[in-house]
This record gives sequence, C-alpha cells and structure tokens, in this order.
Amino acid sequence: MRSLVRSAARPYVCPSCQLGGLPARRRFASHSTPTSASPEIYDVVCVGGGPAGLGLLAALRASSATSKLKVALVETQDLQKARSWSLDARHYSNRVSSLTPSSVSFLQRIGVWDHVDTARAQPYQEMQVWDGETGSRITFDWSMESSPFEDMRTVATMTENSNLVRALLSRIAESGDENLSIFSNTTVSSISNGSEIPDGPDLSAWPILSLAPTNSSTSQPPKQIAARLLVGADGINSPVRRFADISTSGWDYDRHGVVATLSLSDLDPVHYSASIKTAYQRFLPALGGPIALLPLPNNNASLVWSTTPANAAYLKALPPRAFIAMVNAAFRLSMTDLNYMLRMERPASPTTASSPALDPHEDELTWRVQHTPQPRKPSQLPPLVTGVQEGTVASFPLRFRHASTYVSPRIALVGDAAHVIHPLAGQGLNLGLGDVAALAETVAYAATHGMDLGDILTLERYAGERFATNAKIGGACDVLHKLYNVPGNGPVAWARSFGLDVIDSVPFVKGLLMRGAQ
Amino acid sequence: MATRRALRTLNHLTTRRAHSTTSVSANELSHFSALASSWWDPQGPSRVLHLMNPLRHDFIASCLSEALPPPSASASSSASTSSTIPAPNPNTLRYLDIGCGGGIFAESLARSISASPTTTTATPTRAASITAIDPSTTLIKIARDHARLDPMVDAHLRAGRFEYKNCTLEDLIASLSSSSSQQASPSPSSSSSSSSSSSLPSSSPSISTPIVTAPAAPAPQKYDIVTLFEVIEHIESTPSAGISPQSFLTDCLRLVRPGGWLIGSTIARTFPSWLVNQVIAEAPWPIGVVPRGTHEWQKFVNPDELEGWVQEGLMRGADGVAKAGAAVLDGMRWKCVGVVYVPGLGWKLVPGSESWGNYFWAVRKGI
Repeated sequence: MRSLVRSAARPYVCPSCQLGGLPARRRFASHSTPTSASPEIYDVVCVGGGPAGLGLLAALRASSATSKLKVALVETQDLQKARSWSLDARHYSNRVSSLTPSSVSFLQRIGVWDHVDTARAQPYQEMQVWDGETGSRITFDWSMESSPFEDMRTVATMTENSNLVRALLSRIAESGDENLSIFSNTTVSSISNGSEIPDGPDLSAWPILSLAPTNSSTSQPPKQIAARLLVGADGINSPVRRFADISTSGWDYDRHGVVATLSLSDLDPVHYSASIKTAYQRFLPALGGPIALLPLPNNNASLVWSTTPANAAYLKALPPRAFIAMVNAAFRLSMTDLNYMLRMERPASPTTASSPALDPHEDELTWRVQHTPQPRKPSQLPPLVTGVQEGTVASFPLRFRHASTYVSPRIALVGDAAHVIHPLAGQGLNLGLGDVAALAETVAYAATHGMDLGDILTLERYAGERFATNAKIGGACDVLHKLYNVPGNGPVAWARSFGLDVIDSVPFVKGLLMRGAQ
Repeated sequence: MATRRALRTLNHLTTRRAHSTTSVSANELSHFSALASSWWDPQGPSRVLHLMNPLRHDFIASCLSEALPPPSASASSSASTSSTIPAPNPNTLRYLDIGCGGGIFAESLARSISASPTTTTATPTRAASITAIDPSTTLIKIARDHARLDPMVDAHLRAGRFEYKNCTLEDLIASLSSSSSQQASPSPSSSSSSSSSSSLPSSSPSISTPIVTAPAAPAPQKYDIVTLFEVIEHIESTPSAGISPQSFLTDCLRLVRPGGWLIGSTIARTFPSWLVNQVIAEAPWPIGVVPRGTHEWQKFVNPDELEGWVQEGLMRGADGVAKAGAAVLDGMRWKCVGVVYVPGLGWKLVPGSESWGNYFWAVRKGI
C-alpha cells in the first residue's frame, strides 16, 4: 500500500495552478512505467463497487444520453458473491441504511428499485427523537402535511446494503454488456499519467490504471486502462483521491458505532398503530452519543449506538441477554443508571440464553426501571428488545472527513471518498447517492453538449452542486453530535432542549427541517 | 438600383482581390493571438467563452428541430451504397466553423460526431464532419495541439472527419472553388454551376489570375451548417475598400447549402450592452470576466442590422443563379434569441433579451 501511495502521490500544486497545470502532469508522466501497448480507453472508469460506484454505473446505463458510453468498474471484492447474496426472512444483515424518499425516487428513476427485494425493506413514517438528559422530545412525521385521507408519508426506508447492492448489480446486468467492463476481484495496483503515443493521441494528462487480480500470484502483465473520467468511489482511504492529490480535512470522533440486528416483542395494538412504523433515537450525552432503533420487517430492528470505544468494547463483549438488557435500558433509564450498568462486572462465563438464573444486567434493569419515571404515552418508547441475531453485534469507528474539492482534471470523487460524516442522521449513503445522481446528470449534460466528460469545466458543475450541500449536512451532524455530548443539566442542555421544543411545537420550522433532510 | 448593384459587384470584386487580408483585422489577430496560451485554461481569460459553448449546442439543436437541412445527394448515395441495412446513419451534416480560434466550439462539435459510422441513433448535432478555419496561425496551432489531448477528437482529425485549416474565409472559398472546378466533371452535384469555371487555373488563383471569381464564379462545395460564433463583431469594416461585415456575411452564405443554416452569435450595439460588455465585463479583476480590449463596442451588431445584411447577402449570393433577387428570401427563416450571463449561474438563453447584449442568431437558406 505504501508503494502505491508513493507512486500515486503527485507533487503538490496549488489548485489554481493545477487547473492549468498540464505541464506538471507531463513531467510526472516521465516517471510512469512505460507501456508497451497503448491502454484501452474508457469514457468513465469507476473505482469501487459499493452502493455509490454501482449507483453511478446504473444511472449512466439507464440514461439514453450516457448508455452508449464505454464504462468500467473496478472492485477488489467478488461482485458475483454480492450478486447472489441471500438471507432468509428471519435474518437481516447488520449493515443497513435509511434511504430518504429522494434516494428511493432516484433508484426508481434508474430502474434499480424494481430489483430491490422490498419484502426486506421497511419504510417508516414516524421518528421519535428525545434527549436522555432533559427528556425534551421531538416527533418527526408528515402528518401535518398529509391529508387524513392519504397514507402517512414515508420518512425513510430501511434497506440492507446487501439488498441494495444486489439490486444495483442486477440492474446493471439487465442493461447488457455492450460497452461495459466490470473488473471484479481486481485491485488497482497503480494509477499514473499516460504518455504521448507516437502518431496518436497525447494521453499525458489522462489517468492510466494498472489492474491486477486481487488474489493471484501469476505474473501476467497488469491490464492498462485509460480513463476520460476517473471516478473515485473507493471509500475513506480513496487511492483515486490520493492520485489526484486532493487533501481531506476532518477528525476522528473517538466514538464507535455499535450495530446489531434485534428482534422486538410483539407490538401492543392498543398503543402502537399497525400501519405506522417508527424509528427511535435517544441522545445519551453522558455516554458519548445517541442510540437508535430502526425498524426492519417482521418485527425486527436495526441498532446503531454511538458511544465511546470503551463502552462499545464493553457492550460487544456482553452475553446476548445482558446486551439486550443494556439496549432496553438505554432507551429507558437515566444517565446515572446507565453509567453504573456499563461498569458492572461482566459474568465470567457467558450465561446461556436457556439458563434459568437471572442475568445481572436484566436484574438491574428490572428494578431500576421501576424507579425511573417513564413517558406518559407508551408509544413514545420502542417495544422491548427480545433477541439479538447471532453474529450481528459489531462496531466501527466514527469519523468526519471532507475532501478539499470533489474534482480535479479527469477526476471526480463520490460517496465516502469525498465525505464521511457522523451517522446520527443516517445520511451517509444518501449523500453518496445524491453525489451519484448529480454526477450522472453532469455527465449526461456533457455528453449531449459536446463537452469532454473529464474536463474541469464539465466537472465543476458536479462539484458546485454537491460540495456545499454535503458540507452543510455533514456539518449539521457534527454540530448535533457536539451539542449532545455535553452532559449534565447546564446551559447547553437547557438551550438544546429549548431548541428541540420550539422546533417540535412550530410546524412551519419542523416542515422546513424535514424537507431539508430529504 | 442599377448603380447600386454595379457598386455592389465592384465592392465584391475588390474584396476578392484584396484576398487574405480582407475580413481579418490585424489588431484583432494580434489581440487573440496574445490570448492564445491561456485559450484552453478553464479559469483563464476565455472562461466566459467556454461557459457559453454548451448553449451553442442547444441553439443549434433548436435550429435543427425547426428545420433539418435536406439530405444531400452525396450523403444519401453513400449511405445507400455503404450498407444494405435500410436504416441509414442519420448524422450526415457537414459543418463549417468560421473563426474557430483555439477550437472551443469546433472541438466540442467534433466530439459530437459519432465514433461508429453505422449508428442509427441521431446525435443532437447530427454532425458527420466539421471543417474549422481561423486566420491566426498561433490559434490554429493551439487548437490542433489541444485536439490531440482527446483520443476521440484525435481519431476524427486523423480520419478527416474533423479538419483545422489556417486560412481566411476568402482563402477557403477560393480553394473550394478551384477544387470543385477540378472535380467538375466527376461530381454531378456541381455540374449545374461549373460551366463558367473551366478556364480557372487550379493553382494560385489569387495572385496570377485576373478577377474571375466574380459573383458568377462556380459554386464551391457547400456545407449544411456554417457557424460564426462571436466573429461578426470582430470583422474589420473598411468602407473605402468595400470591406464590411456585409460582404463577409455574403461570403458565409455562399457556403451554405439550400436548406442549410448559417448560425452565429454576437453582441448588440445598445446602451445596456455597452454597459455590460465594455464597462463591466472588461473592468479590472475581480469584476471583469473578459480581457480588456476584446471588444470594440462600435463593431457590435444589432439584430435588425444583421437580419438586413443577411437578406442582402442572400440576394447577392444568388446573383448569377437562376433564382435571383427577392425571390431567394422566400424560403428563408430568421431566428434570434438573447443570451444573458448571470455570475454564479452561467449563461442562460433568455428570449427577448436580444438587445441587452449577447444573442444567438440563425438564418436558414431557402431550398
């Protein structure tokens, strides 16, 4: 990896010089490995076969203006496996995203949604968000804007990433294989600038990728492909971004997101409407972040609990019954109680679920909840968690990153390569799909107006459309994270609760916020 | 009327004789050559021009949707012989870009030429080929060098579908006339007008021959679409020598096939345009967006003037041909739409804003 960094890193050139900086690139080209044959030329090469990269490909294949472009996608993982992914209806992956209506409508527009197994996707119509310190609460739903005669509008749709990726792959396969190359199980071993081909085009400002099979020791020469537009959909450590010498700024939150797939107790029909699904999020300022329970079909739910690495490690090591008790406690008990429970000694040997002895965490929860005031309406709390799907408890570090620019000549960044944000609003994948929709539109405009797809004049449209939007949402999530990490009942807690109450009681402001989140 | 017509002919003759320096101003040439190095810099002095380019494609598409030039005899015959498939390639239009500069428009048009000759889907420009000319050697070199940076455009250049020529309009007409007279016998399409051209020597027609390229000269090879973007306002007007935008337009129109379009853009000579283009656009940084000295307000052209010149040009171009005088205006179409630059948003087509400054115009030659 280190050698890749070195070979890909270009000398720093200030942005304005870089834009006109063809000479710098030409000089750089002399260092690149000489290519015997001229590389195969593609219009769009996308590095990374996650939802963003595949989404771009599917969008380009779906539009008549861009369906004839010669496109390629490079992915280190086996996409064939992703294509044939399947789970039974009782099990759900722990990698789940909350797709906003605009993401879903984009996926519908490009014909992907038809391939999503919607029986595994769960739309929800209401969101309960409250402050664990002060009890201040806000309810997000569209009831104010929908007439009583129509169904409640969807806030977002929970979808497993694997379900989405499989749908994207089917949609791409459906578009045929003309002008399409998918390099699965393939690593980008280097990216460098091309060279002048005698009696041919001058590719000295074109990125040339060397591709090698991921798990192969064969010494066959790497395949060389040239990209009119190289799209980095290659995640937080994007090699494409490094090649383009685009810097990122940001920080690690020193928090981990603990995820798990949970099953819930049957809903009490008195308090819970059968037709309205609700997502619950409680901010736990003293514990480092919010806990969220997002509905999945068949009375399952997906957990995302942002907390300190120490708490995350503690939670992950708990036996299932204790873990379940902690999740139920986190939605019901006070910060003091929770802090105590997170410091309880863990049982030496994991108690089996069938063991009749009461789990110490369950025990704590049972008597502490009796002494904690609970909300008046039971529907303001999620149903009790009764089970955790085996092998789904995992955690990942939370980070904030924002690239200094999304574009450079013949380079565009999308998704996590461009921005990584705090997951508390569930916006990460939605921003990525927003990028992809905007970039596909930019490419379509360029293709119908004789523009060079990789030219900076083309790409600045994309950057102009997305940079500020993503910075705004990423920044808002960051502010919320910081605001809800101030423990106690000081002025900050008072102010944020006051703000939440105001937003909740003024329909106009709330409607504005909800439309903004879309 | 008779004297006017005689005068017109005379003007035209002098124009022809003056040849390679006619419509091109030395000042303009040096101004634009000085900008050459930054011509393709997206943040450079030509940025505003780059941003306007996609709208040129939109405007061309709107002209084509109104009236498509009829398929030429050669295009249809080649389509029928080259393939047995009944659906022919719909992209048959031959383009000529006059005053291409560094190739901003020409290259983008070349990019719209379909790479596969057997395609049956129509592209927005329906282009089959483009010839781009400019009198500045520096700019043509810039254009050629830049074209090499794109393998697709480079392939079009090598295949001859795209061509840069370092010459003036007058040179081009002369070379086309001579080549068409050479090809007079094998090419049936030019037979109607080649009768008087047989005496024309094929070599160096400009220097050695007396005035033979009079209005009755052989019709040169013609184009479906001739484009004239941001050119007419840079044409040197020297009435004493009979050189004017009018004579230049007449020459342009000569190269348009019946049913084809002459499409251009320019700037109106009005108070708002003076304010916008001279005072604001050429103001020092950071207000200005156009290099100082790019425009001379006096040379700007109003839409009605242009329409008059075009009509006049069509009539003059028809001189010596069977259909003459006002009759040639019968099938003509005139189209004009304003375009406004909004900082931060870019160029927008705004119908009715023609007199504020920049506008696109197009004239279709009657069939």
